[in-house]
Amino acid sequence: MIKLYDFELSVNCYKCRLLMSILNVDYEIVPVDFYPGFKHKSDEFKKINPLNHIPVLDDGGYVIRDAHAILVYLATKYDSTKRWYPIENPELLGETASWMLFAEGTTNTASAARLNVNLGYDFDLEKVQEGAHKLFRFFDEHMWFRNRSGGKWVCDSEHPTIADIALFPDVVLAEEGGISLIDYPALRLWAERMKRLPGFIVMGGIFPASADRIN
Amino acid sequence: MALSQPTENICSMTTQELTQNDPISNWYPVANADDLPFRHTFHGKLLGQEIVIWRADDGNVNIWVNRCLHRGVRLSRGLNNGAELQCQYHGWRYANRTGGCTYIPAHPVDSPAQHLSCKTFPAIQSHGIIWSGISPEGVPPKLSFLDGLTPLNLRSLPAKAPADSVNEHLSKYMFHPDNQTDGEGSSLVTTKAYDNYFQITATVANSTSTLALFAQPVDEQSTIIRGVIGVPHNSQNVLTVLRYHNNLMCKLRDVIEADFELKSKISNTFAAVSNPRSATRNIANNSGSVSFLKVRVARKWSTAKDVVGLELLPIGNQQLPTFLPGAHIDVFLPNGITRQYSLTNGPGELDKYRIGVKLEQVSSGGSKYIHETLSEGSIIEISTPRNNFPLRRDSTRTVLIAGGIGATPLLAMAQVLEKQKLNYELHYFAQSDEHLAFPEILNSLGNNCIRHFGLSVEETLAKVRESLGEHNSSENLYVCGPGPMLEATRNIAADLGWPDESIHFEYFKNSKIVSFESSFEIELARSALTLNVPAGKTVLQILRDNGIAMPSSCEQGACGTCIVKVLAGQPDHQDVYLNDSEKKRGDKMLTCISRALSNKITLDI
Repeated sequence: MIKLYDFELSVNCYKCRLLMSILNVDYEIVPVDFYPGFKHKSDEFKKINPLNHIPVLDDGGYVIRDAHAILVYLATKYDSTKRWYPIENPELLGETASWMLFAEGTTNTASAARLNVNLGYDFDLEKVQEGAHKLFRFFDEHMWFRNRSGGKWVCDSEHPTIADIALFPDVVLAEEGGISLIDYPALRLWAERMKRLPGFIVMGGIFPASADRIN
Repeated sequence: MALSQPTENICSMTTQELTQNDPISNWYPVANADDLPFRHTFHGKLLGQEIVIWRADDGNVNIWVNRCLHRGVRLSRGLNNGAELQCQYHGWRYANRTGGCTYIPAHPVDSPAQHLSCKTFPAIQSHGIIWSGISPEGVPPKLSFLDGLTPLNLRSLPAKAPADSVNEHLSKYMFHPDNQTDGEGSSLVTTKAYDNYFQITATVANSTSTLALFAQPVDEQSTIIRGVIGVPHNSQNVLTVLRYHNNLMCKLRDVIEADFELKSKISNTFAAVSNPRSATRNIANNSGSVSFLKVRVARKWSTAKDVVGLELLPIGNQQLPTFLPGAHIDVFLPNGITRQYSLTNGPGELDKYRIGVKLEQVSSGGSKYIHETLSEGSIIEISTPRNNFPLRRDSTRTVLIAGGIGATPLLAMAQVLEKQKLNYELHYFAQSDEHLAFPEILNSLGNNCIRHFGLSVEETLAKVRESLGEHNSSENLYVCGPGPMLEATRNIAADLGWPDESIHFEYFKNSKIVSFESSFEIELARSALTLNVPAGKTVLQILRDNGIAMPSSCEQGACGTCIVKVLAGQPDHQDVYLNDSEKKRGDKMLTCISRALSNKITLDI
């Protein structure tokens, strides 16, 4: 069984849990006391990830670190439809990769601000908040025109990709880092859509959406 | 080609469109219509006030203060179920249109207090724009340049600058009707109408294009730039137009923000937007305190044999108050008679009240008057809804047992349960198909509505027994119908092990023999008053004679409106509202009919 070295309140761990839930992949959690125990910095955890960060995924002895890399691995291995990581469509794959890199930016700004506010991590709060707003302004414009041309997801595809997963919690939890989403209506709409994906799961601060059909 | 300077003229249109200076009384665009897709909750802000905007399934746009009345959590994080908005924190629900609180999960048996109502702001949709204001006067601007064209809402742009600074720049927005060049060579005519509204026409040779730009004052330091342009119907280059203006407006925003940053470095004095908090009403004085209102009979129709349906619409711009499923209203008929009727409305359906009135065989003038004399268009007075038959929404199974016209409050309940996809059954007992009231509502309930026709008394009771079955925890029964059927149903439920608190009922009337012979003292604990109730007078009458306001409705011990807490002494109940355990506890009584078995009774008034 797949093991995920996980911390409940980590956005990066959540990205892995979310994709595994959507792909219906069984896994077990190995809790790492990221806070307040800082156990990811322990010598014991160093044996699992010498870089001392979570998440880490262990799939039958194959060990891989970094959320975005884990998403690539999981989607390639467990999504037989090849839509989440579209390896058979070079243009779409390139687009996905560029948005995955964009997500590194949102993680290092929006999610860093949240770590600073919630868990006291040492980041220049004003700087990371400003950085997040800059990226969100661009991202919101992108999503507004995606909507206007009939698209629902980050990339120009009918189906969401792992780029949507990589960006989703950074955006939704940004408000915990003092980054208001009030100026980004297109991002809020997209986030709501993500919450309606079959297999969607919640985490602290990420609530479900209402049903999008008459019930 | 030379670039002509934009001109600004304060135009002389109608007085309504003249510049208004008080931001509180202006209409502002606060969202685009397409910001409100199905079941979305939109987070906005106007003049420093955070707002939540959501569209119900009936098309109504709600704009409320963005705070749950409970713990202040943003309602924009809540769930729009199409009829109610539910807070994510503790699940408080608020009704479409009024913002009235309709359900508190932590108090499933109680009606939320009537004053619990979100503060609402006006909402009007026109030209693809949602307009609102703190207390706006008149109507939003009519953009006649869009006549004969399709309005295309430009992408709105938040700018970090106050509205005044933004306006200085908006008047100089330059564009070209060809959607390609940066406004070069076009001749522009700029018209200023409202404070925050510019209409700009660009013309080159035979080509012309007009748009309107608005500055939505968000707070002291931010503004949202909104725009609408007219394009021919079925235009193929909508995206080109949108991208063209988005690019130009983004550039303009960069200029606006840089300019403001520079200005605020030089001086910190900029026009502050008035604090809207001073303009907000005290929540405690909200619609909950209104007790009577006039309504118009908009529709009267035969919904079943001997049953007419009435649709009651508010007069003018009044908003009908919030109701809970199971609520009833008093209807004050022009012939001086007052009657109580249950609302059959579905959740969030607050544009009208719908009631059903059965012609009583022995009518003392209420139902007969409604059937024979009351006509469409009549104006009648009604009370605000009274919620004395509240529905729990935390049951694992809800059984609704309706006898004849007793179905009306249960129809309102069934629609809520249906909407929330909760497990329930509505058993509707009637003589025949043509005796079923509101068939269109019944049809909307699908298989959850089970119709039983023409059963004998024994057959009815056997069917009730079968429908109820053994009681499991968290199952609730609601029953309304003729007295004997209600009595029998309560007995069957008790026999099957349904505890008192799971059996909820509503009688039409109190057919018990009651006595007003006793005399006793009432001590009013909170008013520090002791009064004597002589034989022949009711507690309610004595309270009113002594200047104590007490709501009442049926005044025969059936509806529960005049209920009070009993702190000491033993009540002589005589009502049909309380259940047996409640009567045994003796801690509540109905002032219209209950008396005292002890010499003195102490009430929490």
